[in-house]
Amino acid sequence: MRGQATRAGILAEMTDGEASGVAGPVQTPAEAVLALLAELSPDLRGAAILAGDGTTLAASGEQERWREDAAALLTIADGAGDGQVEQVHIATEQGEVFAVRHAGLAVVAVTDRFALASLLFFDMRSILRELAAGDGGGDAA
Amino acid sequence: MPPKPHRILLDRVSGYADEAAAYVRRRRISRRPFARLYYSGGRASDHAADSTAGGELFVAAGRLIELAGKRQRR
Repeated sequence: MRGQATRAGILAEMTDGEASGVAGPVQTPAEAVLALLAELSPDLRGAAILAGDGTTLAASGEQERWREDAAALLTIADGAGDGQVEQVHIATEQGEVFAVRHAGLAVVAVTDRFALASLLFFDMRSILRELAAGDGGGDAA
Repeated sequence: MPPKPHRILLDRVSGYADEAAAYVRRRRISRRPFARLYYSGGRASDHAADSTAGGELFVAAGRLIELAGKRQRR
């Protein structure tokens, strides 16, 4: 009878995630730092983290589309000037786009207009540094 | 009778706040779209929207903005 189940019995029926109090699926390190960025930046609409080979480590929506569009932006930015860009900031009437490369990883973020650029760049670089220090999955290029 | 010191301080602080608010208002009205790239060593370059590279950057940025959609108010 369910009403008389012991605490040990209930725990035995639970999955590991439920038992440890973790809600939902386990986050990868990239997903964790992306969640941290979202928490740090109230203006953030969406973001993605790309590995050195262009694969998406984490994204706030459709991973495949983020991979394509973020890679396209970085490719165009690299071709626009001389050499590989380190940071990108594009401000439009509809929103702003930021990109930062660090240790072979890249993070691309979309924010509302008039986001505080220097703070966002700092946060983006911080999460990449944190990810690169752990097992971020980027091949440090 | 001379004004109390704290009144002078308050007037000065609110004066600075008014100036700052006006600056932000002017910036919001007058700020135009831009595309700025930063390179290692602190170099930076601006690309006008009517240049080839600038146009491509704005198109790529527009796709990302569309993909991200509107922000969920928290």
